[in-house]
Amino acid sequence: MTMLFLHEVHKLLGAKEEEFEQAYRGGWMPMLARGDDARLLWYANHAAGSGPSYNVVTITAINDGAAWERLALRVQKGDLREWIDGVDQLRYDVTGKILLPVYWSRLQEVDFKTVPTDGREHELSLFMEDTGWPYSSLDDYIRMWDEIYARPMSQAPPEMRILDIQACFQVAHGSYQRREAILWQKITSLDALMHLLTSDLPPEQRKPGSYMVDALQYRDQWQSKLLRTTAWSPLY
Amino acid sequence: MLFLHEVHKVDGRKADDFEQAFRKGLMPALAKGDDARLLWYTNHAMGSGASYNVVTITAVKDGAAWERLALSFQKGSLQGWVRDVDGLRHDARGKLLLPLHWSPMQEVDWRAVPTDGREHPLSLYMEDTMWPYREQYLRYIDTSGAAYSKSLEVADPFIKIEAGFQPAFGSHLRREVVLMQKILKLDQLRHLLTHEIPIAQRRPGGWMHEALVLRDQWESRLLRTSAWSPLY
Repeated sequence: MTMLFLHEVHKLLGAKEEEFEQAYRGGWMPMLARGDDARLLWYANHAAGSGPSYNVVTITAINDGAAWERLALRVQKGDLREWIDGVDQLRYDVTGKILLPVYWSRLQEVDFKTVPTDGREHELSLFMEDTGWPYSSLDDYIRMWDEIYARPMSQAPPEMRILDIQACFQVAHGSYQRREAILWQKITSLDALMHLLTSDLPPEQRKPGSYMVDALQYRDQWQSKLLRTTAWSPLY
Repeated sequence: MLFLHEVHKVDGRKADDFEQAFRKGLMPALAKGDDARLLWYTNHAMGSGASYNVVTITAVKDGAAWERLALSFQKGSLQGWVRDVDGLRHDARGKLLLPLHWSPMQEVDWRAVPTDGREHPLSLYMEDTMWPYREQYLRYIDTSGAAYSKSLEVADPFIKIEAGFQPAFGSHLRREVVLMQKILKLDQLRHLLTHEIPIAQRRPGGWMHEALVLRDQWESRLLRTSAWSPLY
């Protein structure tokens, strides 16, 4: 059994934003908590000013393939059919993909007992979600992220780190685009993020031997999203 | 039963190698187990859409079987195969589908699916993908079964719906319907391509008129099966 991670991007009707959030907080999260198949992990808004309007990203952990199939059948013709049709009236559409953790991802399994389901509140946090599309092989790209990105980042002094790589995923076969991988990274230094946003890359990061240059052997297309968790997102 | 639908954007210089990889590689590899079977291998007919596009549909027994398949592609026996195939295509986009409640195809008997690459005449499918209005999705699923599919149940039909699907939760778009329709009469396809839709079909009572309450966006693809595609 391998844990699956359901990643969804919801394009909301702006006027229904609060209703949508409430549907997840008061509906989806506690509904999943009544069983052992899945848990909502993150509910995050694409930070206004950094990308598309009224976009929400959710990540739900699912125990395994059989659990996902049960959930899919409930949505198609079971007790969740009407609920999800109601949620559809609050969004233009939703795009989903089912992810597997890559071999070096810190997040592999989630102990459901550690995931709050009662909507308790906490401070907000900011994540940088990077999605990359390599021209190298996908396996080589994932290995490169480990060897020349994640490991050096984890060895840097805490005060030098901009983020904490909590998970790395690839698309489970057939559920979406094949050649794609995702880094799920919590911003740990807002000062460093602001520096990144407001400064050019320093010359030393544009020379061979730097990550920015060496990684070009694998890809030149990626997209970063700044995602802010809600006050009640189970993980943050 | 789940149905894995993939659109492969093939490197035109390597199209033959790509086809061989499925015929000699994936199809027999799946046939060694009971989890999945390749059903259709089709080329998007040249002159009707995107170049070097291949659409494959693979039946997968259930969620647990799909998980095993996904792991074999990630780090198991098919990891090398898919790595090689990635070198023959620009990319692939997949979606996991469930049969609509009225779909003629619900389950597939593996014994009825050839896996030896036997050859047969080519056939042409019209694959229609629809995106119903937000508030009409569930109604569209029901009505397309009750009205559209029934309208094709005539003595000498132009096309036959072999399967109807919707995306399984969490894969691809939420609000979509896919119909896999075999074209039985090529002369009627020619007529359809070269004539306007008759007025009668655009008036109240005609499907083209009535269905506008449910959707106005769809895309048709003309897909030609290969000579060895298991189903055709």
